[in-house]
Amino acid sequence: MNRKHFFSSLLAAGAAIPALGAALTDDTENALIIPRYLKAGDVIGITSCAGYITIQDIQPAMQQMEAWGFKIRVGNTIGKRDFTFGGTDDERAADFQQMLDDDDVKAIMCARGGYGAVRIIDKLNFSRLQSHPKWIIGFSDITVIHSHLNRNYGIASVHSKMCNSFPDDWSKAEPAQIETILSIKLALQGEKMKYNAVPNQQNKPGVGEGVLVGGNLKTLESLAGSKSDIITKGKILFVEDTGEYMYSIDRMFWGLKRTGKLANLKGLVVGGFKVKPDDSPDDAFGRTLQDIVLEKIKEYNYPVCFDFPVGHQKNNYALKCGVRHRLEVKEDEVSLKEIYNDDKKLK
Amino acid sequence: MTIIPPYLQKGDTIGITCPAGFMAAEKAQTCIDTLHEWGYNVMVGKTLGSSSANYFSGTDEERADEMQAMLDDDSINAILCGRGGYGLGRIIDQLDFDLFKKKPKWIIGFSDITVLHEHIYANYKIAALHAPMAAAFNDGGAENEFIQSLKNALEGKKAKYECAVHEYNRRGEAVGELVGGNLTLVSHLIGTSSDIKTKGRILFLEDTGELLYKIDRMLYQLKRSGKLQKLAGLIIGGFSDMSDTERPFGKTAYEIVQDIVKEYDYPVCYNFPVSHSKENYALKVGVGYKLKVGKNRVVLEE
Repeated sequence: MNRKHFFSSLLAAGAAIPALGAALTDDTENALIIPRYLKAGDVIGITSCAGYITIQDIQPAMQQMEAWGFKIRVGNTIGKRDFTFGGTDDERAADFQQMLDDDDVKAIMCARGGYGAVRIIDKLNFSRLQSHPKWIIGFSDITVIHSHLNRNYGIASVHSKMCNSFPDDWSKAEPAQIETILSIKLALQGEKMKYNAVPNQQNKPGVGEGVLVGGNLKTLESLAGSKSDIITKGKILFVEDTGEYMYSIDRMFWGLKRTGKLANLKGLVVGGFKVKPDDSPDDAFGRTLQDIVLEKIKEYNYPVCFDFPVGHQKNNYALKCGVRHRLEVKEDEVSLKEIYNDDKKLK
Repeated sequence: MTIIPPYLQKGDTIGITCPAGFMAAEKAQTCIDTLHEWGYNVMVGKTLGSSSANYFSGTDEERADEMQAMLDDDSINAILCGRGGYGLGRIIDQLDFDLFKKKPKWIIGFSDITVLHEHIYANYKIAALHAPMAAAFNDGGAENEFIQSLKNALEGKKAKYECAVHEYNRRGEAVGELVGGNLTLVSHLIGTSSDIKTKGRILFLEDTGELLYKIDRMLYQLKRSGKLQKLAGLIIGGFSDMSDTERPFGKTAYEIVQDIVKEYDYPVCYNFPVSHSKENYALKVGVGYKLKVGKNRVVLEE
């Protein structure tokens, strides 16, 4: 039986996907596990697996998600602090573990990024998540968790804004803020996501289909060689970053290339890159982000788009990591859409 | 066994090239004069004091071509990189080591040059010199023991370095091939064709100008990729100009290391004179050393 079709039909019936057992070592034909989508009344747990955040800071997110009809479970790391972290490693791991294991919690939103997920990832036990998958939500440092889930369990997760990005006053929020926050709700409710990006003249046109993986570039680099390192073969890779020098961005793209992550992609989606200014004009790197990316992939034929609305910026839409997508890069239109449940695929 | 390039004789030629960042010619003059005084000829590449207007000492092609020419030229007996910065990673896969493999020579430098050191050790098992570069000769540097250690290393004198103990040191003795360099680059190279194996070896690490949480993250990468587990010993050099985030990390760089290696039992020493500061002894990457971390002193001996 074709697994992909089997899961697709289960999904169509709205059923949860059972665990597959053994960790996936080569997931080029990854058996995708899509957690159950959320309905009104479901509980979303909020936890700090990385940086420190106060209970006040998550109020706007709580109120908004409650207004959407969800219940909120506040983890005990919220308001906890160990210097830069939201509690000690043990406290953060215990809070996250509790939410992974509690079947009443249907999704886990990481309150914020910062740094710290990698310090607890090996302390976490994902066996309950495998048998009872749920959505894990976040970006930036949370790329550690997305990568780990994709590499080891093939479980999909939501790359999106977190609690610290919800507007304090919804009525005064900019349209981009409202749309991006609403995209989290839509993603969790099972909406098939489709996004457009403003075409960039340096895009490489083409069409590619594959599982979407990626996240924060620096974080992806720091996972190389570890058991959370993503396999990108046959997939669509998206990357974004902030606060890095241009030379460092160049080095990271070399890192992707030299670890074999650019060679067999179905598509490359480049999101926002907030570049740290050079310390002096003498340090001018002499290359743009587009130059840096295009020189690394010149021998490959897959589509590449720039300026995709994902990153440390207002335009940061919810993306489903570990779910099949179709990237279409045309001269006048760029789109990335989910195709997992595509009817054509079912036939 | 690691292949040891021939040590230098008076009259041998040292080539100077800049495979990474730009360097003004005058900043290398004292170095050139000193190498002459040591009895060597010096061949200066065009990348030193080039007309490059940007960060690099030349285009990728210019930098790669010059390094290639020096690797291939039998009349050049050692290659001293003028400075580090960033740039070797851009050209490493363009370099052809076929002739170098047959006739190895010392490649000297540190920081970004870690890429080259690791690459030739990982792929060809050829030793290299992690040592001060041209600018370290300036301002009286040519006289200090660290530049002298480079002179001694090139002449083939076996090194024996001693340094003061540090309160975090973990005592013990280790014997193994010495590998390592700049932490940022050691971690960056993980998973690439330039990545080194560390099992049974003495690893040394130094870094400069990083945020403390990034030091932590890089060490976690080393740990999670299995690079810290089976070391013979660990040498922690200078971690200079560290910066912190608005919310303090709560640990110094040395405390971060201490925390990450607490589950292992090999000897560890801190503040060893290998760094981006003046204190930077010449170390032969790939060569066997004995590390003794004692109560009153630390000794690293070839």
